[in-house]
Amino acid sequence: MAQHQVNYLKDGGLPVALTTIDKVVNWGRSNSIWALTYGLACCGIEMMASGASRYDFDRFGTIFRASPRQAELMIVAGTLTKKHAEFIRRLYDQMTEPKWVISMGSCANTGGMFNTYATVQGVDRVIPVDLYLPGCAPRPETLQYAVMMLQQKIRKEPASRAQKPKRLM
Amino acid sequence: MRAYTPKDNVQKKSYYTDRFWVAPQVAKSAVSDDAVFAADLDAIKAKFDVLDAYIQVDQMVVVIHANDNYAVLELLKNEREYTQLSEMSAIDWLATEGKFEIFYQMLSMAKRKRVRIKCKIDEKEAIQSVEKLFRCADWSEREMYDMFGVVVNNHPFMKRILMPDDWEGFPLRKTYPLQGDEFAAWYEVDKIFGKEAREIIGPENRDPARIDRYDTKRFARLGHEVPFGTDISQGEPDTPLVYQEQKGVFMVDKFDTQKSVVISDRHR
Amino acid sequence: MQQANRLRPFFENITFDRVDNEMVLNFGPQHPSSHGQLRLMLHMQQEQITKAHPDIGYLHRGMEKMAENMIYNEFMPTTDRMDYIASSSNNYGFALAVEKLIGLEVPRRAKVIRMLLLEINRLMSHLFWLATTALDIGAMTVFLYAFREREYLMDLVEDYCGARLTHAAIRIGGVPLDLPDNFITDLRKFLDKLPANIKDYEDLLDKNRVWLMRMENVGVISKEMALSWGCSGVMLRASGVQWDIRKEEPYELYDEVEFNVPVSDKGDNYARYKLYMAEMRESAKILYQVADMYEGTPTELMAHAPQYISAPKLDIMTQNYALMQHFVLVTQGMRPPVGEVYVPTESPKGELGFYINSQGGPYPYRLKLRGPSFWHTGILTDLLPGHYIPDVVSIIGTTNIVFGEVDR
Ligand code: SF4
Repeated sequence: MAQHQVNYLKDGGLPVALTTIDKVVNWGRSNSIWALTYGLACCGIEMMASGASRYDFDRFGTIFRASPRQAELMIVAGTLTKKHAEFIRRLYDQMTEPKWVISMGSCANTGGMFNTYATVQGVDRVIPVDLYLPGCAPRPETLQYAVMMLQQKIRKEPASRAQKPKRLM
Repeated sequence: MRAYTPKDNVQKKSYYTDRFWVAPQVAKSAVSDDAVFAADLDAIKAKFDVLDAYIQVDQMVVVIHANDNYAVLELLKNEREYTQLSEMSAIDWLATEGKFEIFYQMLSMAKRKRVRIKCKIDEKEAIQSVEKLFRCADWSEREMYDMFGVVVNNHPFMKRILMPDDWEGFPLRKTYPLQGDEFAAWYEVDKIFGKEAREIIGPENRDPARIDRYDTKRFARLGHEVPFGTDISQGEPDTPLVYQEQKGVFMVDKFDTQKSVVISDRHR
Repeated sequence: MQQANRLRPFFENITFDRVDNEMVLNFGPQHPSSHGQLRLMLHMQQEQITKAHPDIGYLHRGMEKMAENMIYNEFMPTTDRMDYIASSSNNYGFALAVEKLIGLEVPRRAKVIRMLLLEINRLMSHLFWLATTALDIGAMTVFLYAFREREYLMDLVEDYCGARLTHAAIRIGGVPLDLPDNFITDLRKFLDKLPANIKDYEDLLDKNRVWLMRMENVGVISKEMALSWGCSGVMLRASGVQWDIRKEEPYELYDEVEFNVPVSDKGDNYARYKLYMAEMRESAKILYQVADMYEGTPTELMAHAPQYISAPKLDIMTQNYALMQHFVLVTQGMRPPVGEVYVPTESPKGELGFYINSQGGPYPYRLKLRGPSFWHTGILTDLLPGHYIPDVVSIIGTTNIVFGEVDR
């Protein structure tokens, strides 16, 4: 009987890929970012446009979910007013870990052109933000680039450890 | 000496006005010029005091006593075919006259005419609701109350509409600053985290022109990203736009600019 | 890991009142089909709504206050953010109001360009309405189709003014730019395809059983109710009142173009849907006619009124006096005469009005924005009772409200 010696590791014979758990988990996380539909104002329309036929957000694995319990990314698209601030915090608390926040448009970043009594001057006063994207309104391309940056960020994070609470400021 | 700023009107003012400049007026014409308006005005005059009436930019303006407001609007609606109240609100004249001016913008679809009814009330005075005539006044009057603090009598649901219920102050009064008062500035922080958090979160940054180009904690410029908190005052490294990590990504196709298709005709 | 805050968890979404078996349901303010930030408190007997309280103000950004602190030209970009689905129609409404106040006549080419922008915006708005309403009701395909066409229009507007959503494409006294070279041809190309596209949507929806069940005889607004609630636009025309400001009180070139005003006396959701579809066809008709007018108009784009409007760029760069005027107008702002004006225009949503009270200063003394959606939201108070929970979404959909305009 002939003796075959197979070097599983060398010839690619082993039917599995070797990697770290971290990489697998992060691969999964970064390619299935489900976003909470948080269209507050005009930027929300551009967010919808990025989900629609021309820009097609689904190819990044980003699907808009209506429930915070099913979402891990909150895209704050639009002006946050003082009346609404309480609710954004509530919904943020309701999202499951790990979670990320993209602040879309200058209103969400800093209050933007609405330097008035009724506008929260930046959502980072209420919830911690991972990515700020500039523009009024940012184009869908910008939002997609932001999501790609977020993917890179997720891949860098250790997957196994529980997330530390993010600083608010 | 500090410059004097008036407290009764804190809205922005022009910083320079020529001494000899006289503001021109938008032309007013007599109501008798227009037969339709003249008939309407006569109908009002027959029953009520009319303080002033004229036509300005194709619309008749009638100034009446504040306590006639319901009756005049009723007359216009039921007898003169002004079937729609398209807008109503107040104007703050507290600084100059100590009064609010209320205007009702009426539309007659049959005659294709628009009339504006105006009246003035004192600061503490209440005005009669016209909600029975026009349902839309329900919300307008609530908005007027919310923004100016004008109380409306006989209104079914007198509550703030645009601002939160626990809001202090009436935003559209001339005494209310554009950027809000102390209460407004801390509203969301107080409500969500409590007053203790004010120190941690810090005051609002209301300066639209403030840019700190060495701040790498809050902002990064696209293509110039550096790690969080790096000191970049000595110049900064340039990082090109990257869509993916250089080495490629585990189980994801590598992005290759060579292979991607550039669509030149967007309408193809 | 949660951060400590003061917000107490409470079952805010549902309250059961055990005494009379009434349930209070909270809808919004962040709900995917509330078209922005509408909050509804619904009192219900089982599935049926007995009382509805719309709660608005979640997008109140203080625009009227901003207007009192801005020179007239400075306020123009802010109007974009009112009805952000059709920005140029707000720009236009404001520009027209100021022009009426100072008594300006706009050059013909500017008028033509404005007409083009207005109607393109109307199409954009209607397509967006169709897309979102269909999505709310579950017709995902229509959403994707309608957005496809909308993107073409966005491209056209982008060619003109460089922005997709917030155009600021109209100035007081005219328009800032001439049309780019291929604008008219691109527009014609799009318009040629449009009827087939509209037919596609109609094929998908018109006889669709689900669509019919959710639309027909749902949300019926009677004529009296529509008038009393200050409804305008499609909301009014679906209830049997033939009133279109473009036709009845024509502004710009609407008296020179040929178009019909579709009306219906049903007053239900389906009637509104049909009217939107019909209006898209009418808009296309207007666009064809206006595109023909463009050729051969004189090239001026801004009215000549040195007291109020800056001279053309060429003059500013070459003539001393024009430069001085421009400097004063930019730093101090124009000072319209003392007086007041209310100017209604027919925006895609309905009667968009600007009331300006000027005291001769560079800042308006009072500026009231009449967004049609404000009243179209108010009508929900009277409209919803008697309906069932699933109807809420379709009714909100067909009222076509935009919260930038409701809360301002
Ligand atoms: S950033 Fe601009 S476009 Fe976005 S919500 Fe604010 S005003 Fe609207």
